[in-house]
Amino acid sequence: MNAQYKYYEISLVLVIFLILIYVFQGFYYDFMYIFSNIFPPIISGIVFCFSILAFKKYWTKIKEYFSMIWLCFSIGLGFWFLGETTWAIYTLILGVELPFPSIADIFWLIGYIPIFISLFLYVKSFSKVLSNKTIYSTTIITIILLIIIFITLIIPVFEIEFSINTIISSAYPILDIILLHITILGFLIFYKGKIGKSWLFINLGFTSYVIADLLFNYFITYGTYYCGHPLELLFHFGDLSLILAFYIHMKEL
Amino acid sequence: MKFDEEFKGILIEAIDEGLKSILGENGKKVIYYHLKELYGLEREEIPEKLEIFTEYINKIFGLGAKIIEITIIKTLCLKLKLEYKEKKTKFIDYIEELYKDYMKKYKRK
Repeated sequence: MNAQYKYYEISLVLVIFLILIYVFQGFYYDFMYIFSNIFPPIISGIVFCFSILAFKKYWTKIKEYFSMIWLCFSIGLGFWFLGETTWAIYTLILGVELPFPSIADIFWLIGYIPIFISLFLYVKSFSKVLSNKTIYSTTIITIILLIIIFITLIIPVFEIEFSINTIISSAYPILDIILLHITILGFLIFYKGKIGKSWLFINLGFTSYVIADLLFNYFITYGTYYCGHPLELLFHFGDLSLILAFYIHMKEL
Repeated sequence: MKFDEEFKGILIEAIDEGLKSILGENGKKVIYYHLKELYGLEREEIPEKLEIFTEYINKIFGLGAKIIEITIIKTLCLKLKLEYKEKKTKFIDYIEELYKDYMKKYKRK
Protein backbone atom coordinates (compact mmCIF):
# COMPACT_ATOMS: atom_id res chain seq x y z
CA MET A 1 0.00 0.00 0.00
CA ASN A 2 2.84 2.37 0.90
CA ALA A 3 4.54 1.77 -2.45
CA GLN A 4 1.28 2.71 -4.18
CA TYR A 5 1.10 6.01 -2.27
CA LYS A 6 4.72 6.65 -3.17
CA TYR A 7 3.76 6.39 -6.85
CA TYR A 8 0.88 8.82 -6.27
CA GLU A 9 3.23 11.25 -4.58
CA ILE A 10 5.82 10.99 -7.37
CA SER A 11 3.05 11.55 -9.94
CA LEU A 12 1.72 14.57 -8.07
CA VAL A 13 5.18 16.10 -7.86
CA LEU A 14 5.67 15.45 -11.58
CA VAL A 15 2.31 17.07 -12.39
CA ILE A 16 3.21 20.19 -10.39
CA PHE A 17 6.68 20.26 -11.95
CA LEU A 18 5.23 19.99 -15.47
CA ILE A 19 2.66 22.72 -14.82
CA LEU A 20 5.38 25.05 -13.53
CA ILE A 21 7.60 24.33 -16.54
CA TYR A 22 4.77 25.19 -18.95
CA VAL A 23 3.57 28.23 -16.98
CA PHE A 24 6.96 29.90 -16.88
CA GLN A 25 8.05 28.94 -20.38
CA GLY A 26 8.37 32.58 -21.38
CA PHE A 27 11.64 32.73 -19.46
CA TYR A 28 13.32 29.88 -21.33
CA TYR A 29 11.87 29.65 -24.81
CA ASP A 30 14.77 27.65 -26.33
CA PHE A 31 14.77 25.13 -23.50
CA MET A 32 11.00 24.80 -23.79
CA TYR A 33 11.25 23.87 -27.47
CA ILE A 34 13.70 21.09 -26.61
CA PHE A 35 11.74 19.96 -23.54
CA SER A 36 8.49 19.89 -25.49
CA ASN A 37 10.04 17.51 -28.00
CA ILE A 38 12.18 15.37 -25.72
CA PHE A 39 9.79 14.78 -22.82
CA PRO A 40 6.97 13.06 -24.82
CA PRO A 41 9.14 10.17 -26.10
CA ILE A 42 10.53 9.73 -22.57
CA ILE A 43 7.14 9.54 -20.85
CA SER A 44 5.54 7.48 -23.61
CA GLY A 45 8.61 5.21 -23.42
CA ILE A 46 7.89 4.74 -19.72
CA VAL A 47 4.24 3.94 -20.51
CA PHE A 48 5.48 1.41 -23.08
CA CYS A 49 7.88 -0.12 -20.51
CA PHE A 50 5.08 -0.51 -17.97
CA SER A 51 2.90 -2.20 -20.56
CA ILE A 52 5.80 -4.56 -21.34
CA LEU A 53 6.14 -5.35 -17.63
CA ALA A 54 2.43 -6.13 -17.45
CA PHE A 55 2.73 -8.19 -20.64
CA LYS A 56 5.62 -10.16 -19.12
CA LYS A 57 3.64 -10.75 -15.96
CA TYR A 58 0.47 -12.00 -17.64
CA TRP A 59 1.84 -13.62 -20.78
CA THR A 60 1.54 -17.38 -21.20
CA LYS A 61 0.55 -18.09 -24.78
CA ILE A 62 -1.15 -16.30 -27.66
CA LYS A 63 -4.35 -18.36 -27.43
CA GLU A 64 -5.08 -17.04 -23.97
CA TYR A 65 -7.34 -14.01 -23.75
CA PHE A 66 -5.37 -12.27 -21.05
CA SER A 67 -2.04 -12.80 -22.82
CA MET A 68 -3.54 -11.42 -26.02
CA ILE A 69 -4.89 -8.36 -24.19
CA TRP A 70 -1.49 -7.37 -22.83
CA LEU A 71 0.30 -8.22 -26.06
CA CYS A 72 -2.01 -5.84 -27.95
CA PHE A 73 -1.64 -3.15 -25.30
CA SER A 74 2.15 -3.35 -25.59
CA ILE A 75 2.10 -3.30 -29.40
CA GLY A 76 -0.23 -0.30 -29.46
CA LEU A 77 1.74 1.68 -26.91
CA GLY A 78 4.91 0.67 -28.75
CA PHE A 79 3.50 2.35 -31.88
CA TRP A 80 2.60 5.46 -29.86
CA PHE A 81 6.13 5.53 -28.50
CA LEU A 82 7.46 5.27 -32.07
CA GLY A 83 5.15 8.14 -33.02
CA GLU A 84 6.56 10.36 -30.28
CA THR A 85 10.13 9.38 -31.14
CA THR A 86 9.59 10.08 -34.83
CA TRP A 87 8.15 13.51 -34.00
CA ALA A 88 11.22 14.26 -31.84
CA ILE A 89 13.57 13.15 -34.64
CA TYR A 90 11.78 15.45 -37.09
CA THR A 91 11.91 18.47 -34.81
CA LEU A 92 15.25 18.08 -33.05
CA ILE A 93 17.38 16.33 -35.67
CA LEU A 94 15.84 17.13 -39.05
CA GLY A 95 14.86 20.66 -38.03
CA VAL A 96 11.20 20.44 -39.08
CA GLU A 97 9.45 22.84 -36.75
CA LEU A 98 5.98 21.31 -36.88
CA PRO A 99 6.02 17.83 -38.47
CA PHE A 100 2.29 17.49 -39.03
CA PRO A 101 1.16 15.39 -40.80
CA SER A 102 4.14 13.06 -40.91
CA ILE A 103 5.24 9.45 -40.48
CA ALA A 104 4.68 9.96 -36.77
CA ASP A 105 0.93 10.12 -37.49
CA ILE A 106 1.08 6.74 -39.22
CA PHE A 107 2.55 5.19 -36.06
CA TRP A 108 0.03 6.94 -33.81
CA LEU A 109 -2.94 5.96 -35.95
CA ILE A 110 -1.81 2.33 -36.32
CA GLY A 111 -1.36 2.20 -32.53
CA TYR A 112 -5.09 2.73 -32.02
CA ILE A 113 -5.92 -0.65 -33.60
CA PRO A 114 -4.11 -2.95 -31.10
CA ILE A 115 -5.13 -0.71 -28.19
CA PHE A 116 -8.76 -0.94 -29.31
CA ILE A 117 -8.44 -4.76 -29.57
CA SER A 118 -6.92 -5.06 -26.09
CA LEU A 119 -9.52 -2.86 -24.39
CA PHE A 120 -12.33 -4.53 -26.31
CA LEU A 121 -11.16 -8.05 -25.39
CA TYR A 122 -10.72 -7.11 -21.74
CA VAL A 123 -14.14 -5.55 -21.40
CA LYS A 124 -15.86 -8.17 -23.57
CA SER A 125 -14.72 -11.02 -21.34
CA PHE A 126 -16.49 -9.42 -18.38
CA SER A 127 -19.23 -7.50 -20.17
CA LYS A 128 -22.05 -9.92 -19.27
CA VAL A 129 -22.27 -8.39 -15.81
CA LEU A 130 -23.39 -5.13 -17.36
CA SER A 131 -27.09 -4.76 -18.05
CA ASN A 132 -28.22 -3.88 -21.56
CA LYS A 133 -29.54 -0.63 -20.10
CA THR A 134 -26.04 0.33 -18.91
CA ILE A 135 -24.42 -0.58 -22.23
CA TYR A 136 -27.07 1.28 -24.27
CA SER A 137 -27.03 4.37 -22.09
CA THR A 138 -23.21 4.56 -22.20
CA THR A 139 -23.33 4.13 -25.98
CA ILE A 140 -25.99 6.84 -26.34
CA ILE A 141 -23.94 9.22 -24.17
CA THR A 142 -20.87 8.53 -26.32
CA ILE A 143 -22.82 9.15 -29.54
CA ILE A 144 -24.26 12.41 -28.14
CA LEU A 145 -20.74 13.45 -27.12
CA LEU A 146 -19.47 12.65 -30.61
CA ILE A 147 -22.26 14.69 -32.21
CA ILE A 148 -21.56 17.67 -29.92
CA ILE A 149 -17.84 17.49 -30.71
CA PHE A 150 -18.59 17.22 -34.43
CA ILE A 151 -20.87 20.24 -34.41
CA THR A 152 -18.82 22.47 -32.13
CA LEU A 153 -15.24 21.58 -32.97
CA ILE A 154 -14.79 19.35 -35.99
CA ILE A 155 -17.21 20.89 -38.50
CA PRO A 156 -15.87 24.45 -37.86
CA VAL A 157 -12.39 23.08 -38.50
CA PHE A 158 -13.51 21.48 -41.78
CA GLU A 159 -15.19 24.75 -42.80
CA ILE A 160 -11.84 26.50 -42.53
CA GLU A 161 -9.88 23.80 -44.27
CA PHE A 162 -10.94 20.42 -45.59
CA SER A 163 -7.71 18.62 -46.26
CA ILE A 164 -5.72 15.54 -45.32
CA ASN A 165 -4.32 17.58 -42.41
CA THR A 166 -7.70 18.32 -40.88
CA ILE A 167 -8.95 14.79 -41.55
CA ILE A 168 -5.97 13.34 -39.68
CA SER A 169 -6.15 15.81 -36.81
CA SER A 170 -9.90 15.17 -36.46
CA ALA A 171 -9.39 11.40 -36.50
CA TYR A 172 -7.52 11.47 -33.19
CA PRO A 173 -10.29 12.79 -30.90
CA ILE A 174 -12.83 10.53 -32.61
CA LEU A 175 -10.65 7.46 -32.07
CA ASP A 176 -9.97 8.58 -28.49
CA ILE A 177 -13.68 8.80 -27.78
CA ILE A 178 -14.22 5.28 -29.14
CA LEU A 179 -11.50 4.02 -26.79
CA LEU A 180 -12.92 6.09 -23.94
CA HIS A 181 -16.33 4.49 -24.50
CA ILE A 182 -14.83 1.03 -23.92
CA THR A 183 -12.82 2.16 -20.91
CA ILE A 184 -15.95 3.64 -19.29
CA LEU A 185 -17.62 0.22 -19.61
CA GLY A 186 -14.50 -1.33 -18.10
CA PHE A 187 -14.67 1.07 -15.19
CA LEU A 188 -18.35 0.27 -14.62
CA ILE A 189 -17.46 -3.43 -14.41
CA PHE A 190 -14.50 -3.13 -12.08
CA TYR A 191 -15.07 0.04 -10.03
CA LYS A 192 -16.02 -1.88 -6.90
CA GLY A 193 -12.87 -3.97 -7.10
CA LYS A 194 -9.24 -3.12 -6.54
CA ILE A 195 -8.47 -3.09 -10.25
CA GLY A 196 -11.25 -0.50 -10.54
CA LYS A 197 -8.61 2.05 -9.55
CA SER A 198 -6.54 0.94 -12.51
CA TRP A 199 -9.57 1.42 -14.78
CA LEU A 200 -10.22 4.83 -13.23
CA PHE A 201 -6.74 5.94 -14.29
CA ILE A 202 -7.21 4.41 -17.77
CA ASN A 203 -10.38 6.53 -18.02
CA LEU A 204 -8.62 9.66 -16.80
CA GLY A 205 -5.85 8.98 -19.32
CA PHE A 206 -8.16 8.66 -22.29
CA THR A 207 -10.25 11.63 -21.17
CA SER A 208 -7.05 13.68 -21.17
CA TYR A 209 -6.22 12.39 -24.65
CA VAL A 210 -9.70 13.28 -25.95
CA ILE A 211 -9.45 16.86 -24.69
CA ALA A 212 -5.82 17.21 -25.78
CA ASP A 213 -6.49 15.90 -29.30
CA LEU A 214 -9.56 18.11 -29.67
CA LEU A 215 -7.55 21.17 -28.70
CA PHE A 216 -4.67 20.09 -30.93
CA ASN A 217 -7.10 19.72 -33.84
CA TYR A 218 -8.47 23.18 -33.16
CA PHE A 219 -5.15 25.00 -32.63
CA ILE A 220 -3.31 23.33 -35.50
CA THR A 221 -6.09 24.35 -37.89
CA TYR A 222 -6.00 27.95 -36.69
CA GLY A 223 -2.21 27.88 -36.93
CA THR A 224 -1.78 28.73 -33.26
CA TYR A 225 -0.16 25.49 -32.12
CA TYR A 226 3.54 25.63 -31.26
CA CYS A 227 5.99 23.24 -29.55
CA GLY A 228 5.56 23.90 -25.85
CA HIS A 229 1.85 24.77 -26.10
CA PRO A 230 0.17 24.23 -22.71
CA LEU A 231 -2.22 21.70 -24.26
CA GLU A 232 0.73 19.29 -24.28
CA LEU A 233 0.25 19.03 -20.53
CA LEU A 234 -2.91 17.04 -21.17
CA PHE A 235 -0.99 14.51 -23.26
CA HIS A 236 1.54 14.18 -20.43
CA PHE A 237 -1.23 13.77 -17.84
CA GLY A 238 -2.76 11.08 -20.04
CA ASP A 239 0.54 9.20 -20.21
CA LEU A 240 1.04 9.58 -16.48
CA SER A 241 -2.44 8.20 -15.83
CA LEU A 242 -1.70 5.15 -17.97
CA ILE A 243 1.55 4.53 -16.05
CA LEU A 244 -0.39 4.60 -12.78
CA ALA A 245 -3.10 2.38 -14.28
CA PHE A 246 -0.61 -0.30 -15.33
CA TYR A 247 1.27 -0.06 -12.05
CA ILE A 248 -1.91 -0.51 -10.00
CA HIS A 249 -3.07 -3.36 -12.22
CA MET A 250 0.19 -5.23 -11.74
CA LYS A 251 0.19 -4.50 -8.03
CA GLU A 252 -3.36 -5.67 -7.42
CA LEU A 253 -3.51 -8.63 -9.78
CA MET B 1 -20.55 -27.53 4.11
CA LYS B 2 -17.95 -30.30 4.03
CA PHE B 3 -17.30 -31.79 0.62
CA ASP B 4 -15.96 -35.27 -0.03
CA GLU B 5 -12.42 -35.62 -1.37
CA GLU B 6 -13.47 -36.50 -4.92
CA PHE B 7 -15.73 -33.46 -5.19
CA LYS B 8 -13.01 -31.24 -3.75
CA GLY B 9 -10.62 -32.46 -6.45
CA ILE B 10 -13.15 -31.77 -9.21
CA LEU B 11 -13.95 -28.34 -7.74
CA ILE B 12 -10.25 -27.40 -7.65
CA GLU B 13 -9.94 -28.46 -11.30
CA ALA B 14 -12.99 -26.33 -12.17
CA ILE B 15 -11.56 -23.31 -10.33
CA ASP B 16 -8.23 -23.86 -12.10
CA GLU B 17 -9.84 -24.02 -15.53
CA GLY B 18 -12.28 -21.19 -14.83
CA LEU B 19 -9.55 -18.81 -13.71
CA LYS B 20 -7.29 -19.87 -16.55
CA SER B 21 -9.92 -19.36 -19.23
CA ILE B 22 -10.40 -15.74 -18.18
CA LEU B 23 -7.06 -14.65 -16.74
CA GLY B 24 -4.68 -17.06 -18.44
CA GLU B 25 -2.19 -19.37 -16.77
CA ASN B 26 -0.15 -16.58 -15.19
CA GLY B 27 -3.19 -14.60 -14.08
CA LYS B 28 -4.43 -17.76 -12.34
CA LYS B 29 -1.06 -18.22 -10.63
CA VAL B 30 -1.19 -14.61 -9.42
CA ILE B 31 -4.60 -15.22 -7.81
CA TYR B 32 -3.30 -18.31 -6.00
CA TYR B 33 -0.17 -16.45 -4.96
CA HIS B 34 -2.18 -13.57 -3.47
CA LEU B 35 -4.57 -15.96 -1.71
CA LYS B 36 -1.59 -17.60 -0.06
CA GLU B 37 0.16 -14.33 0.76
CA LEU B 38 -2.87 -12.43 2.04
CA TYR B 39 -5.00 -15.17 3.58
CA GLY B 40 -2.57 -18.07 3.99
CA LEU B 41 -4.91 -20.06 1.76
CA GLU B 42 -3.36 -22.81 -0.38
CA ARG B 43 -4.95 -23.79 -3.70
CA GLU B 44 -5.95 -27.20 -2.27
CA GLU B 45 -7.73 -25.56 0.66
CA ILE B 46 -10.02 -23.39 -1.47
CA PRO B 47 -12.99 -25.84 -1.49
CA GLU B 48 -13.02 -25.73 2.31
CA LYS B 49 -12.81 -21.95 2.44
CA LEU B 50 -14.81 -20.85 -0.54
CA GLU B 51 -15.95 -17.69 1.25
CA ILE B 52 -12.35 -16.42 1.35
CA PHE B 53 -11.93 -17.18 -2.34
CA THR B 54 -15.12 -15.32 -3.33
CA GLU B 55 -14.33 -12.43 -1.01
CA TYR B 56 -10.92 -12.07 -2.62
CA ILE B 57 -12.03 -12.19 -6.25
CA ASN B 58 -14.87 -9.76 -5.47
CA LYS B 59 -12.37 -7.44 -3.84
CA ILE B 60 -10.21 -7.53 -6.95
CA PHE B 61 -12.69 -7.60 -9.82
CA GLY B 62 -15.80 -5.95 -8.38
CA LEU B 63 -18.80 -6.86 -10.54
CA GLY B 64 -16.40 -8.68 -12.87
CA ALA B 65 -16.00 -11.41 -10.23
CA LYS B 66 -19.46 -12.67 -11.20
CA ILE B 67 -18.08 -13.74 -14.60
CA ILE B 68 -15.30 -15.74 -12.95
CA GLU B 69 -17.82 -17.38 -10.61
CA ILE B 70 -20.17 -18.26 -13.46
CA THR B 71 -17.29 -19.70 -15.51
CA ILE B 72 -16.21 -21.87 -12.56
CA ILE B 73 -19.77 -23.08 -12.00
CA LYS B 74 -20.24 -23.87 -15.70
CA THR B 75 -16.95 -25.81 -15.75
CA LEU B 76 -17.96 -27.68 -12.61
CA CYS B 77 -21.36 -28.59 -14.12
CA LEU B 78 -19.60 -29.90 -17.21
CA LYS B 79 -17.24 -32.02 -15.13
CA LEU B 80 -20.05 -33.39 -13.00
CA LYS B 81 -22.26 -33.92 -16.07
CA LEU B 82 -24.94 -31.79 -14.44
CA GLU B 83 -27.04 -29.22 -16.25
CA TYR B 84 -26.07 -25.58 -15.77
CA LYS B 85 -28.99 -23.33 -14.96
CA GLU B 86 -28.76 -19.59 -14.62
CA LYS B 87 -29.70 -18.72 -11.04
CA LYS B 88 -29.52 -15.70 -8.81
CA THR B 89 -28.01 -17.85 -6.08
CA LYS B 90 -24.70 -16.87 -4.49
CA PHE B 91 -21.58 -18.67 -5.71
CA ILE B 92 -21.11 -20.72 -2.52
CA ASP B 93 -24.80 -21.68 -2.36
CA TYR B 94 -24.70 -22.79 -6.00
CA ILE B 95 -21.62 -24.94 -5.36
CA GLU B 96 -23.38 -26.51 -2.38
CA GLU B 97 -26.46 -27.22 -4.47
CA LEU B 98 -24.27 -28.87 -7.09
CA TYR B 99 -22.63 -30.94 -4.38
CA LYS B 100 -26.02 -32.17 -3.23
CA ASP B 101 -26.99 -33.04 -6.82
CA TYR B 102 -23.64 -34.77 -7.29
CA MET B 103 -24.14 -36.82 -4.13
CA LYS B 104 -27.62 -37.80 -5.27
CA LYS B 105 -26.42 -38.75 -8.74
CA TYR B 106 -23.19 -40.56 -8.00
CA LYS B 107 -23.04 -41.49 -4.35
CA ARG B 108 -26.49 -42.89 -3.79
CA LYS B 109 -26.13 -46.30 -2.14
